[in-house]
Amino acid sequence: MDSFGSSSSNGSGSPHMATGEFMDKLKTQLAMAYAEQFLETVRGNCFEKCITKPGTSLSGSESSCVSRCMDRYIEATGIISKALFSSMR
Amino acid sequence: MDPSGAFNNSELQDLIEQEKQRAMLNEMVAKLTSVCWDKCITGTPGSKFSSGEASCLTNCAQRYLDLSMMIAKRLQSMSQGQGFRG
Repeated sequence: MDSFGSSSSNGSGSPHMATGEFMDKLKTQLAMAYAEQFLETVRGNCFEKCITKPGTSLSGSESSCVSRCMDRYIEATGIISKALFSSMR
Repeated sequence: MDPSGAFNNSELQDLIEQEKQRAMLNEMVAKLTSVCWDKCITGTPGSKFSSGEASCLTNCAQRYLDLSMMIAKRLQSMSQGQGFRG
């Protein structure tokens, strides 16, 4: 994680970064990694569900399937989240 | 203690631990959604879930929790020397 390299703003020359700044960077990195993983899953699932015989371009029905698929997958994530967290009480 | 906010080891450890927990939960939701999607959404995705699909997803998550608890309990009784049952 080289975005956590030393901050040059510290006049004493110490390589340390303030805790708050470090945590902000950590949270950003985690959020980006999570988003990328999520998108990869949606791509894979919706390709499988919607593109059964790849042609020379995406047809209208393939495109609308992909839209619906993405919406449904996001909805499914919400349903699973809710089911898990209402049970974990 | 340090007014400049530089590394305070145990405070940082706690904050990192919190983020780790959050990341683990996100990971669990992501994995479970993928598994339950495969089990429950068998046809082409529609413009909304049928009630069967929606309840399948909910059931899937809850049964997974039941399964996790059952496995943990069984593992505990195994490690308490009750031996492996066939």
